[in-house]
Amino acid sequence: MKRFGWRWFVVNSMVVSVLVATSAANAETRPQYGGVLHVAMHASPTSLDPADRAQPESFARHSLTMLMFDTLVTVDENGHVQPSLATSWQALAGGQRGQLRIRRGVKFNDGTPLTPEIAASSLRAANPSWNVAADADSVVIDISDQNLLEQLALPRNAIAKRTADNRPIGTGPFHIVDWQPGKKLALAAEDNCWRGRPFLDAVEIEMGRGFREQMTALQLGKADLVEVAPEQTHRVSLDGRRLVSSNPIELWALVFTRAVASADEKLLRDALASSVERGSMRSVLLQGAGQPTASLLPNWMSGYGFVFPADADLTRARHAREQVRTIPTWTVGYDGTDLLARVLVERIALNAKDAGLWLQPTSTTKADLRLVRIPLVSSDPWIALAGVATLAGISAVKNPGGSVEDLYASENALLAMQRVIPLLHLPVSYASSPTLKNWGLRPDGSWALADAWLGIDKP
Amino acid sequence: MLHAVYNSAIPNVFTSLVDRVLRSARSFRIVVPLSYLLLGMAFAAHAADWSGPEQQLARKIVAVTGPGAVTLTAENRSSLGKRDSEVIQNGLRSALGGLGIRFVNAEQAAATVVLSLSENQSSYVWVAQIRQGAGEAVVVMVSAPRPEGSTATHETVPLSLRKISLWTQDDAILDVAVLEENTVPTHIAVLDAEKVTLYRWQSGKWQQEQALGIVHARPWPRDLRGRLVPAKDHLFDAYLPGVVCRLAAGAPLTLNCRETDDPWPLVAAGLSGGNFSGFPGGGSTPTSVSPLGAFYASTRNFFTGVLTPGISKSTTVPKFYSAAFLPRDKYLLWLFASTDGHVRMVDGVSDQVARLDWGELASVKTACGAGWQVLAASSEGTGDSVHTYEFPDRDPVAVSAAIDFQGGAITALWTEAKGDTAIAVVRNRETRSYEAFRLAVVCSQ
Repeated sequence: MKRFGWRWFVVNSMVVSVLVATSAANAETRPQYGGVLHVAMHASPTSLDPADRAQPESFARHSLTMLMFDTLVTVDENGHVQPSLATSWQALAGGQRGQLRIRRGVKFNDGTPLTPEIAASSLRAANPSWNVAADADSVVIDISDQNLLEQLALPRNAIAKRTADNRPIGTGPFHIVDWQPGKKLALAAEDNCWRGRPFLDAVEIEMGRGFREQMTALQLGKADLVEVAPEQTHRVSLDGRRLVSSNPIELWALVFTRAVASADEKLLRDALASSVERGSMRSVLLQGAGQPTASLLPNWMSGYGFVFPADADLTRARHAREQVRTIPTWTVGYDGTDLLARVLVERIALNAKDAGLWLQPTSTTKADLRLVRIPLVSSDPWIALAGVATLAGISAVKNPGGSVEDLYASENALLAMQRVIPLLHLPVSYASSPTLKNWGLRPDGSWALADAWLGIDKP
Repeated sequence: MLHAVYNSAIPNVFTSLVDRVLRSARSFRIVVPLSYLLLGMAFAAHAADWSGPEQQLARKIVAVTGPGAVTLTAENRSSLGKRDSEVIQNGLRSALGGLGIRFVNAEQAAATVVLSLSENQSSYVWVAQIRQGAGEAVVVMVSAPRPEGSTATHETVPLSLRKISLWTQDDAILDVAVLEENTVPTHIAVLDAEKVTLYRWQSGKWQQEQALGIVHARPWPRDLRGRLVPAKDHLFDAYLPGVVCRLAAGAPLTLNCRETDDPWPLVAAGLSGGNFSGFPGGGSTPTSVSPLGAFYASTRNFFTGVLTPGISKSTTVPKFYSAAFLPRDKYLLWLFASTDGHVRMVDGVSDQVARLDWGELASVKTACGAGWQVLAASSEGTGDSVHTYEFPDRDPVAVSAAIDFQGGAITALWTEAKGDTAIAVVRNRETRSYEAFRLAVVCSQ
């Protein structure tokens, strides 16, 4: 009979104290239910209606929408469409019509069952130009857009049931408990959520908070999830805080308020685009955040962004400028509340001066061109490109949904109009408390909090 | 993009036959190591086939340059490996050569072509920038589908705690039961959120026998858990939150589900009712292992703490995720991984709390060491691991090196029916797929 090995036992007893001490710092392989998540954000939305077009597009708005609402389909991190409130879909009438079968058994947060009629009504409210109808267990959309499914995955097309007083109610993981427009939103877990009750009991969101104020709240333990300004991301990561950044999904660009009016103006806009030192803007002003770009779409989205040279070319800029006799002074607008925007515009004006151009920064609304931040509303490149074009005041992209070469041709055509001078692609970044687990960002930069949970605070 | 045909209700579950076969070849990792090699060869063969986009890009380049002398340089901006990158460059050169292109140095070239192997979120994008003379570059490009996921390989297992891959799938695996085995499992049941699927090892591969749907009226809670428990008078029961399904033998097999809060058994069927000694050779008195059940919170991911019939007179413990036991001299020591992160040791007389920060627990009865070990999952750094412990007294002693799951998260750890092995389910953080392993303690010399 084998004897118990005391020597083996003693050696391993010595090992265990190390192992147990090590494991004491970690654990929690299982998500925990309960707790209130405190979030702070800069934006101050005054409406939670996903279809409200008066609200500016922002990542914060997308995040809020997806806490309370669901879309018919979603797009995963590989760009593939996945079922959500719609379980299946097909093209009809030679691609002129899309039919989506609505998931059974889903209920809105007020207990009302989701029906094709409500889904169709919701889509019509979000897209007045669409012809949408309920058909048995499906919704049918008359539209020839090859990107229909990707469009349906946009937060603005989330399915909402509207009450008699026009309040939107969703099928999402949380429902509204308290809503003070532009100030505070309190949400509670939806016990009967069709995807399962979220782990968190509640989410409380403070709005209109500056980045510095948010970081202080995180440090004091008053917030679990805060936004981080691009120029602060490097420092936050050095501080050892948990930092989560999206792919670069925000385009910072100079946008001219009107189309090119003459051959001289075309040369001057080319000179300005060539004069900007994007690399130093990134390394100095943004502390290494973002990617310098001369393309509208980031490379991760298109695959060809590197084709557009982003380096400053002062020789080319001066050559273009020297072909023009009269040099006007352009006013460059920026958001007066955004200190970083002012610094960037001043740097651009200096670069332009080196090329012999005259730019006058202004925080007033009237300007020849403006520094703008354009959120890329979708990870689908065609929808993102159309979004940029719309915000720049250019007519919609033609023939969306073709090959990568078609996409390149469309982007090239937009850039050739010289309404937009791309500068940088930036990610959105968030810092979180160590107790917040299993949260992340969707491809569109919005929070994914339904599977997040709060761990036990370690002393 | 709107597809021209109906997709399946949940594409990851009900794929077409062709897709299923491809998926089988791609992701099912079988016990026999040879299959790794075969799969690896299949991957290599698949990855090497770039001829279509090579030909396509070559035609586009020649449409710009025409036949003649060209200089070609290439850079890899994608996640492609060096070998693939070289294969593609060679393939493109060959395709261009077939279309009348001659490769010369830059001084002699009528055109320069800069090839960039890039990628976006769904495809490889190969871009050729063509310059002829002093004019602007002409850009042509093609895209090639990028395979999903990655073929993560696993390191060799430690000697004392061994993991054997049983099954991999995209949908969350809740439990796997081995129904028959020779030297390796030959018949298994896989429990996921919507079905129990039976597979048999035939002709060198797993073949699906039957998929039996699970009927449930309420939405499942997040972090869904479930367990397959072999039964004496029927094949097995599947325990899920608020639902128990009974798989009755016969042809065809039927799965009958009912809404119930019946307690889940905590003692493996093969151990229940047996008499065991905690220290083989140590002279201790054999202890009877009585069945113990625990009620599961139907809308959460934990046990409520209510036990039946109880541990001696103790019928409640704090809420817990997982439990294991060790036979002692005349009693059983139960370990509960509480939802507060502590491990409670309950023997019916005393109730001790240890700050061990273990996740899932499972007991195994072996012929090694003290004869009983506890497998405990913990999260360390980027991934989860399982350690083997013994409890000479009330302090755990690690008796094996840890098994790491290569950045994966352990989502389930259940003792198998015989009680000598355990099933661990791991979610791969890269591929997002779930893999079920059998964990076996192997005696060291």
